[in-house]
Amino acid sequence: MKNLRTIILFAFHCTLLTATAQIGAPYIHDPSTIVECDGKYFTFGTGGGGLISDDGWTWRSGGVRPGGGAAPDAMKIGDRYLVIYGATGGGLFGNHNGRILTMWNKSLDPQSPDFKYTDAIEVASSDGMEDCDAIDPSLLLDPTTGRLWASYGTYWGSIRLIELDPKTAERVQGNVEQDIAIDCEASALIYRDGWYYLLGTHGTCCDGVNSTYNIVVGRSKSVTGPYLDNVGRDMLKGGGRMVLSAGDRVTGPGHFGRTVIDEGVEIMSCHYEADFDMGGRSVLGIRPLLWKNGWPYAGERFHDGTFEIESERRGYSLELGVDFVRIAQERQNFRRVDPNEPVKPVPNQQLADVVSTWPTGEIAIRCSDYMFRPHQHWTITAVPEAGGYLGGPYFKITIAGTERALAATQDLELTSVPQYNGSDEQLWRIEQLTDGTYRLMPKRIPGQKEINTKYVIYSAGDSTPTLAEYDFNSDNSKWNLKRR
Amino acid sequence: MFMLGFPLAITAQNPFIHNQFAADPTARVFNNRVYVYPSHDIVPPEGARKDWFCMGDYHVFSSENLTDWVDHGVILDQKDVQWGNPQGFSMWAPDCVEKNGKYYFYFPNGQKIGRGFGIGVATANRPEGPFTCEPEPIKGVSGIDPCVLMDTDGQSYIYWSGMGIRGAKLKSNMLEVDGELQTMTMPQRQGGNGQQGPAPTFTVAGQQMEGLPDGFKEGPFVFRRGDWYYLTFPWVRGDTSNGANPTETLAYAMSKNPLGPWDFKGIIMAEHANHCWTNHHSILEFKGQWYIFYHHNDYSPRDDKRRSPCIDKISFRPDGTIVEVKPTLRGVGVSAATSRIDVDRYSIASSDVANDIIDSLNGFRGLYATLPSKSSWLTYNDVDFSGLHTGAYLSVCVKAAANTALVLREGNAKGKVIARVPVTVISQMGNFRRDMSGHWLTLTAPLEYVPKGVTNLCVTSEGDGLSIDWLKFKNRPDYFVPITSPTARPDDQGFIRRWMLLEPIDNPEANSNLIFSYAYLQEHLANKSNLPKPMPAMPKDGQKVKIGKQSLAWHAMESGTYNVRLFRFADLLQKATYRVCFWAVTTIDCPEDIPNVRLAAGSNGASMWWIEPAEGRTSENDNPVLILDSDRRMVADDGMSARLTLKKGRNIIRCAVVNGPGLSDFCVRFIDEKGNPVTNYEIKN
Repeated sequence: MKNLRTIILFAFHCTLLTATAQIGAPYIHDPSTIVECDGKYFTFGTGGGGLISDDGWTWRSGGVRPGGGAAPDAMKIGDRYLVIYGATGGGLFGNHNGRILTMWNKSLDPQSPDFKYTDAIEVASSDGMEDCDAIDPSLLLDPTTGRLWASYGTYWGSIRLIELDPKTAERVQGNVEQDIAIDCEASALIYRDGWYYLLGTHGTCCDGVNSTYNIVVGRSKSVTGPYLDNVGRDMLKGGGRMVLSAGDRVTGPGHFGRTVIDEGVEIMSCHYEADFDMGGRSVLGIRPLLWKNGWPYAGERFHDGTFEIESERRGYSLELGVDFVRIAQERQNFRRVDPNEPVKPVPNQQLADVVSTWPTGEIAIRCSDYMFRPHQHWTITAVPEAGGYLGGPYFKITIAGTERALAATQDLELTSVPQYNGSDEQLWRIEQLTDGTYRLMPKRIPGQKEINTKYVIYSAGDSTPTLAEYDFNSDNSKWNLKRR
Repeated sequence: MFMLGFPLAITAQNPFIHNQFAADPTARVFNNRVYVYPSHDIVPPEGARKDWFCMGDYHVFSSENLTDWVDHGVILDQKDVQWGNPQGFSMWAPDCVEKNGKYYFYFPNGQKIGRGFGIGVATANRPEGPFTCEPEPIKGVSGIDPCVLMDTDGQSYIYWSGMGIRGAKLKSNMLEVDGELQTMTMPQRQGGNGQQGPAPTFTVAGQQMEGLPDGFKEGPFVFRRGDWYYLTFPWVRGDTSNGANPTETLAYAMSKNPLGPWDFKGIIMAEHANHCWTNHHSILEFKGQWYIFYHHNDYSPRDDKRRSPCIDKISFRPDGTIVEVKPTLRGVGVSAATSRIDVDRYSIASSDVANDIIDSLNGFRGLYATLPSKSSWLTYNDVDFSGLHTGAYLSVCVKAAANTALVLREGNAKGKVIARVPVTVISQMGNFRRDMSGHWLTLTAPLEYVPKGVTNLCVTSEGDGLSIDWLKFKNRPDYFVPITSPTARPDDQGFIRRWMLLEPIDNPEANSNLIFSYAYLQEHLANKSNLPKPMPAMPKDGQKVKIGKQSLAWHAMESGTYNVRLFRFADLLQKATYRVCFWAVTTIDCPEDIPNVRLAAGSNGASMWWIEPAEGRTSENDNPVLILDSDRRMVADDGMSARLTLKKGRNIIRCAVVNGPGLSDFCVRFIDEKGNPVTNYEIKN
């Protein structure tokens, strides 16, 4: 990152809650990959501090990372946490003398008695004259070989790859740094399904709402490259396929990090240079990470709205188990249609047309052909005060125009209750899966003590939704949310 | 020669092994390479005595120049010695000799049964092994520190330390001592533990070496030079009465016979100044120069049982006696200017210069030297500059308490300045204050003067004091390559590498690449307000133009890479690199009209591109074929011109690239309708 690198983190009480950005005080630049420690989530940023979240949704300052400098990364190896950071400013003082250091901690939580960083060890540097600025490091522990790699660098020269010893986080003896990309910074390395991916941040940072920062990717069958984009262009020639750019009232996504929550449930963390809804500040961003044809791309931030909830299994729609109310229609014999007679649109069936026919107590839930009828339209609304999970708040799911809420039952079935009351079995965790479908998970099963992380809405049969254990390899676990 | 081993990253100075401890260095020349067989000190593992020697295996190291060393790894482990104690950690000073293409490695080791040391033999077909260990130790040789002399008449002798220093002939199989074994009685120790009973007896080979002085002796090393045999050995000469604990010297005796009697001559090397108790050595001739290998505890200053090997030159007087050696930090060999040069291993220094270990918990991080004041200096001899290219620069690892400057000179403290390195540890930019005082910093500086050949360096401090760990000279990549032919072709991927580049035009307002809007480029580039005047159709190498107050020259350049590094072009000329505008022009000669191609370019920062006929710019071709505006990075094939025809004959390609704070460069090629590079033309300039 050029010139101004240091972002000052303000302790800031945010009273304006929006359901789409991370809430609390998620002010950060260059967030490290989100790491879980002792049930809390941590990310470190440029400058020194970091963010902590108890639930992955509400963030506060309070992370502690000594050493200053720019753009750290963190990961868990064994029972320890490894932090890598650039101790310098990336041209902040007019030079490109960079240093990359590693250090360990048994905990990331400053409250933990185990919280104590080891002495930092230098693993790479740039001398100010060479075509490299040794800041912005990221880590990859190769799951196929157990070898530990780090990439680092900025626009000022190349992105370089080095190998570290996973036991000590020292540089492997005799390892020579290798150029793997140009034209980006805040790089990240990930491995998935036989491919190594190098993510870089392209564009211009640190220009507020006008920042053009964006995240691009190339991939390789070897960790040492060449990393090619979707048209075969080497990242050493500036190649890169877009993963995420501006949109949805945020600009300048940068500093990619991938966190796998569950099989088929992945998120990417980044910062937005400016969140228009947060006064144009630089904030933590968390998006679903989707995969298509071997390429990663960012999912949409989920916004409140009214949806059809359609099963991936059959394409049937989640609905109230009420009698189908036919729409009256003046039917014409098609052989006697008068082409000169004006066309009269048929109005949609309205809630008021049918609601009186519904029972007033609990109504069972089933799936059926989607006919865009009121008993098939669900309004999904964030409930920020109910807390959240990594990347999102809990939602209530109500029949559009009513307070009739979808709820989990003690015996792992679905029902609807006439009046939403905010209880945990009426709150839903909604996550976009890597294939673009969604899973919907009640916050708590009545009678169970723990927060539910297992049971999702599940197609027991084409017409019969239930709650069952999430299985990414079964379409029964998956739903499409279609905005209506 | 195929070498199995790991090159050690740091080239030799004293000590010359940097990644592990290594004591008792026995050096031998095999096949024009020096092999060093040391014992391998380690920090005692759990259960072993902490304050004692601890050696469980042997490595061998080799070098062809005494500067670059290769670690061939473990050649023998205590677990591989059938007769030895597998947990004894008593693999003390060894030796290795060659006879008829076979290598014989002699080593002491604790016995599996009973007390005392035996001396074993392992053999190999190569100096670095693999070695196969004989099942029994040498009969009659009870002791430590074996040394084997291969005399010119084919007879071999073995010497060892055990109740004084003994020597014996070896049989031609190199595995047995020649001659009768004697039965001896174990001498009673003074002040023993009062054990009663008859003293134990044992058999012993060879004979006591006669003529040596009183006092503790061990580690015999015997060599022949001319008619003289030299028996050299560590020796405690000091007074041991009243509980004093004087340390070892290296001493020697001479004889015309390999087994003596010996004529004691005195000291080769005095006691170590820091009370490191042991010293142990070997002496050899290599490429016409005699060297002594010895050890010292440089990387373990608080524990003299963990030692590291050193080399210095040794010389003889006409009568054959040895000139006493003063151990140096610098050691021997020529250091390549491009290698890491640990100048804390200086040749000489002003008396106030001090040495200290960087990390007391990890000695292998090495030492550093402190130059406490403005008059302090140190010299480092024998640095070879022949590997340096134009544009090389100096990199130094230093720390300081306050802002100062390091100056590197040739020869001595008044010598010609090679480079000046400002050591700025405290700086302020706006509200940002940076305090790096007391931190190790790697700093760089361009060279004011490049010495030739092999010369000596002198480091001086020009302000307050500073500390230095190492320095090295770094070559830059081949950003540009010499032009060796009158014409060139695009490279395999179609990129045009040969250009006439104009020295950078100052553009002080360009603090940021964000200002390079389309409107800005139109005004500053297309409307020629920034153009060289007059714009020559095709400038010549060295031709000058005046722009504003600047007089700027064109340079014929050929890029070493697909992209043309404008920033490095300016840097090489020591011109402004930021807030500038570059112009580049080249001519291509097409054998025929090449229709339906596109100019494909990328640039850092914004750029404009023109294609003109050989006659030069006309109003018709004044319009650029491509503009890359705003905050650009150099991405290959970032922008394309509309389809165009390259005319048969000469076409001039001209571009302007503006740079704010970036590492400015561009790349350009022509591609056809299918995106394939166009290469069927010549570049002529």
